[in-house]
Amino acid sequence: MGLFGVLDVSAAGLKVQQARLDVAASNLANARTTGSSGGAYRPLEVVLHSSTHPLASGAAVNGGMTLPRPEVVGIMEKSAEPSLVYDPGHPDANKDGFVRLPGVDTVGSMVDLESISRGYEANLRVFDVTRSLIERLLSIGGRS
Amino acid sequence: MWQVDPTLDLLSKAVDVAAFRQAVHAANVANADVPGYQPLEVRFAPETSESTVAGFSSAQRLEEAAEQIPELAASAQGHVHLDEEMAQMAQNALRYQLLLGAFERTVGLLRYAAREGKEG
Repeated sequence: MGLFGVLDVSAAGLKVQQARLDVAASNLANARTTGSSGGAYRPLEVVLHSSTHPLASGAAVNGGMTLPRPEVVGIMEKSAEPSLVYDPGHPDANKDGFVRLPGVDTVGSMVDLESISRGYEANLRVFDVTRSLIERLLSIGGRS
Repeated sequence: MWQVDPTLDLLSKAVDVAAFRQAVHAANVANADVPGYQPLEVRFAPETSESTVAGFSSAQRLEEAAEQIPELAASAQGHVHLDEEMAQMAQNALRYQLLLGAFERTVGLLRYAAREGKEG
């Protein structure tokens, strides 16, 4: 794998952080969504996975191996308990006057946002550094 | 392979290793949030540490050093430490640029010799 392939790995990292951001935004935005076709909104969660880990194949520097890339395997519904809030006037209230609010962990989501932001930045920085290394490599012999 | 200069061989090998390290740092940072991901690192085989690469004294040792192949290994850390990865990556990027500079200078010297010391 040359340096150009490294850019792909960083791009995969950026994509994964983007997916996490989408899900965190959706969870926060729907934190009080009570009505939809299947009842209250169910908080979502991104399931990540790494493509083939190279240690299994004993790779060497010129072995043409591929480095593990993160992938989004799926977006699942979390098994969070909905919270019941007493609000008899609410159109989605049940016969006892309780409304089922989705069990979105807003504090946890905010912490996730911070980690997503740092992860995105780090991948972007690695991308930049790799690009500068490629530029330096391509400039060989061009200055004398 | 026809060999111009053992220093060039060693330098190009070292550039390869630095590029490899960059790839490994990129993979570690990209996979930092994947549950159960085992961070990777670049290592040399036990009998050929990197210090022997640096401590050459003759052309033959230079050739030996150029033949050492780095390997991927699981890092001792259970998960990715973003700060350490970024710091090591910065260091490695500097080394990469330094090595390319040394490569260019060596080529320049050879060119100078081939022109019998004439400038231009």
